[in-house]
Amino acid sequence: MTEYKEITEHINQKIEEVQRKVISGKIKLLNYELAPIFTELKKALNIENLDNSSKTYKAACELLNQKFEDLRRLLSSLDSEQKFIDYLKSNPKDEEISRLFDGCWRKIFHVDGLSLSFLEFSKNKLCKDKGVPITIEHLDKVFSDEEFLLEIPEHNFTEKMFEFLVRIQKYLPCSFEEIFGDEQDQAKIYEIFVYLLHLLQLGKIKYQKETNTLYT
Amino acid sequence: MHLLSRKVTLDKRGASEEEILDALNLKTKNKSIQFQYLIANLSEYIEKLGLQVRYNPLDEHWFISFDQDVSDIISANPFENQPKIAATLFCTLACCFKGSGSCKIREIIELRKKKGIIEDLKILQKKGYVILDKKLDQVHLTPLIGYELDLNALFTNLAINLKE
Repeated sequence: MTEYKEITEHINQKIEEVQRKVISGKIKLLNYELAPIFTELKKALNIENLDNSSKTYKAACELLNQKFEDLRRLLSSLDSEQKFIDYLKSNPKDEEISRLFDGCWRKIFHVDGLSLSFLEFSKNKLCKDKGVPITIEHLDKVFSDEEFLLEIPEHNFTEKMFEFLVRIQKYLPCSFEEIFGDEQDQAKIYEIFVYLLHLLQLGKIKYQKETNTLYT
Repeated sequence: MHLLSRKVTLDKRGASEEEILDALNLKTKNKSIQFQYLIANLSEYIEKLGLQVRYNPLDEHWFISFDQDVSDIISANPFENQPKIAATLFCTLACCFKGSGSCKIREIIELRKKKGIIEDLKILQKKGYVILDKKLDQVHLTPLIGYELDLNALFTNLAINLKE
């Protein structure tokens, strides 16, 4: 909000400065470009600063009207083509006439590469299928009057770990691989691995690296 | 962009409103409004690239040119340091506009009161801005000058100069 207010205040200051310079004769409105003021105002326009913006817009429009009025006066003073001819008949120097062209020449934009076939080629390249993007589907919220209960395992981790220890006692000592047996379930293998790590840390079982043997 | 940036002939660029409407297959009642809307939007879109959509009143064609700043940087003025030819061009423009696109060579010579005007006009012809018809003592403007020169800006400059 403050940021937008600052921008409109800045534009207001700019408008006031232009008005001061016009009154003092330092600049002529016909030579002054007003488009940047309106562009700035357009960028600063926001629902929160609508009031300030409309006031600034009004001030900018007054400046624009003033410019139109100057142009109207200028054109009405030059309503006859004869005046142009009269100007040339007044024998102005070539340099003076040449200066009238200042800022009037424009380079034409022409590119051979911008042919229709090139544009079509570019379009096809840009529009090439890039596969279906991954979409994230959000779950619908369900409101329930019932009290929400988080399901927790019947046994806690320590109990399950010691159950595992009892289970493997009869196999020990054995190799590390033998503990896993023919287990194929990744989740189960992970579970066993975690139990082993904890039991090793607690010193309930030991591991001899040289022989790759677990023992109590 | 293709239609507006194309070079049709030596002195013809871009496309007319009808050509653009045909290419876009716009046939509705308010096609002219839609056209203006599209042109305004495109102009705004390419403004950031230092380009602008312009209209040549001499042959009613729409085309794309570099904006003033970029044109000044790349020296679009073909008569830099050649004020004599620029002055002859100005006289030719003033006489031709008075005579709806063409005028007598004699009129320009009388107005310029300088020597070597025919040579200047030949240079202008070489640049593609005029066509000389010495038998008929006529000078015709080609549309090219309307593409390369912002005529509105020129007359505004003249009006300001006269006011001063």
